[in-house]
Amino acid sequence: MSRVVVVKYNATDSGRSEEVYRRLLISGLCLLTDEMSHKDALRTLLPSGAVGMKTSCIARKRNSTPVPLVEALSKLLIESGFHDNDIVVWERTNRELASAGYQLNASSFGRRCLGTDTNGVGYSHDFYQSEVVGSLVSRIMTEIVNSNINMPVLKDHSIAGLSGSMKNMYGAINNPNKCHPNNCDPYCAHVSNLEPIRTRNKLIVMDAFEIQYQGGPGYVPQYVYPYGAVILAVDPVAIDRVGLEIVERIRAMKGIKSLEQDGRPVRYIASAEKIGLGVGDLKKIDLKVIRVDRDGGESAGELF
Amino acid sequence: MQRRTFLKCVGCGAAAMAVTNTNLLPAFLGGVQNACAFGPAKELSSKEARFYKKLEGGGIECGVCPRHCRVTDFERGYCGTRENHSDTYVTLVYGLPCALNIDPIEKKPLFHFYPGTDAFSLATAGCNVNCKFCQNWEISQSRPEQTDNYSLSPREAIDLCKQKQVPNLAYTYSEPTIFYEYMYDISELGRKEGLRSVMITGGYIEEQPLKELMPQLAAIKVDLKSIRDDYYTNVVGGELKPVLDRLVQMRRAGMWLELVNLVVPTLNDTDAEFRDMARWIKTNLGADVPLHFSQFHPDYLLKNLPITPQKTLETAHAICKSEGLDYVYLGNLPGHPAESTYCPKCGKILIERQGFRINQNNLKGNRCPSCNREIPGRF
Repeated sequence: MSRVVVVKYNATDSGRSEEVYRRLLISGLCLLTDEMSHKDALRTLLPSGAVGMKTSCIARKRNSTPVPLVEALSKLLIESGFHDNDIVVWERTNRELASAGYQLNASSFGRRCLGTDTNGVGYSHDFYQSEVVGSLVSRIMTEIVNSNINMPVLKDHSIAGLSGSMKNMYGAINNPNKCHPNNCDPYCAHVSNLEPIRTRNKLIVMDAFEIQYQGGPGYVPQYVYPYGAVILAVDPVAIDRVGLEIVERIRAMKGIKSLEQDGRPVRYIASAEKIGLGVGDLKKIDLKVIRVDRDGGESAGELF
Repeated sequence: MQRRTFLKCVGCGAAAMAVTNTNLLPAFLGGVQNACAFGPAKELSSKEARFYKKLEGGGIECGVCPRHCRVTDFERGYCGTRENHSDTYVTLVYGLPCALNIDPIEKKPLFHFYPGTDAFSLATAGCNVNCKFCQNWEISQSRPEQTDNYSLSPREAIDLCKQKQVPNLAYTYSEPTIFYEYMYDISELGRKEGLRSVMITGGYIEEQPLKELMPQLAAIKVDLKSIRDDYYTNVVGGELKPVLDRLVQMRRAGMWLELVNLVVPTLNDTDAEFRDMARWIKTNLGADVPLHFSQFHPDYLLKNLPITPQKTLETAHAICKSEGLDYVYLGNLPGHPAESTYCPKCGKILIERQGFRINQNNLKGNRCPSCNREIPGRF
């Protein structure tokens, strides 16, 4: 059974600060792994060596992986024994990272932050294939890091229906433009099934503080729902299935069509389950929802 | 672009390219590199694209090919070379070829178009389909920032062509529809200065862009990849009907047209398909449109299939001849008799080829020297 942990912020302020994210992450990591501390949790999840943090920065500041979330997780990694220069925050391009507020750093000092388009990085010489998808993969994923934390933003997507864990891996390949037909099905599944992506992704930390439930992947303020959560999992299919449930419930609350009714069915989740990438059946997912107070106090919660 | 990409683009062409980094130029152009600003490109272009419309509520819809990609801000179309910049659609590859070469025109292949001449050939990154068998996937399936590009304006392309005394320009290797604006401007300038342009394409282009482009072109070679819809859906990632419609449009416009069909074992190699293709061509385009069958080699997403057996190609040739097509050729089989052109009336050999080489050209102008039959093409 795949576990998905939804950690909701139990306060009325916006909460998007490094301090709040830190509290949510510590609670979420412990619950995800059944470990007593975030240090043990991260050591359990991640092998030693360089660790990547694949952000989602295509939508600039308002709909990208928040800088405070990345800062909070970076510090937890350092506390867990990772060297700061072994942490690599990355995205497809430097332009996207900078536009989302990240400070680029490709040097040998401090936490690295770089796009695949950085001089000397680029894409793999090896060609990877999973059925309909054939791609080169970012050398950050294939050569620079030993493991990766996938850090998507949960949101609506004008073509895929849902952008979450699997869709974020489009930023790791050289030809994402070839993977959008048929509402990204089964492309999303097969991009995540490319060997280096499937084997190096060890943890997913999905931002769900403000959910763009319609009009995504860009920022459209009238369709933003203040959900106030981060979602953690190891299984990319299960976390997307839970994410889909959340987005669909918000859409229903707001009185707009479901993604399927809107002509954007999220079929790639079933396709991913079919090839063994994870669990797509909500009934088979071990869903844990907790609420975390400003002072770190925890209580049981519900999705809504 | 990686070295292997260049080597692949060069193929078995005569001109060797010694390009391993962006500071070097193709060897065949080495002697002219100081004659113009031609050199490695440092950034992508942002020239406004043609054939798009702005959508209500934001975003644009591209109209250059039948995909009609709807693209939101800072996203790209399927081709990966056109990007929405605040609802102005721009081409990222204008003046930025990633492959340059001088090839025999027979390599395109165009067999009825000034035989024995050369073509200054260029391509940018990107393509509007995703053929599983693509031999040039390292450029066609890449985005322009993933290839090493040259900065070469239309003016510079024409000047280079003239300096090398090459009479033809070929837009080839990837899919020129996706660098439409660049192709158009070079073609227009070249035509005014006596250079002929040929488009080597999959034919997956919209009607209006093609209509406006054709007056600038001298010939088009179309890859008719199959006569079956499902092949286009499953193997090409496109649609058959728009391609067939454009073929008819080209023919009606009087454009010199040749067709190529890559025969892929188990996927498009049945007798019925060869027959249906021949019948469609004869009915809709005419018996005098040359059809080239070429041999598949495992690559890209189809490494599991074998090379097309020579016998299969010969079967395709025989079927199409029996259906009444006048000019059917076999490619990638150097030395095969079906590489040569024969008079459909008296059977005399008109142009004898071996690979891309012309061994003998017996045409008298555009007529058979034996029976005086007119041979279609541009000679």
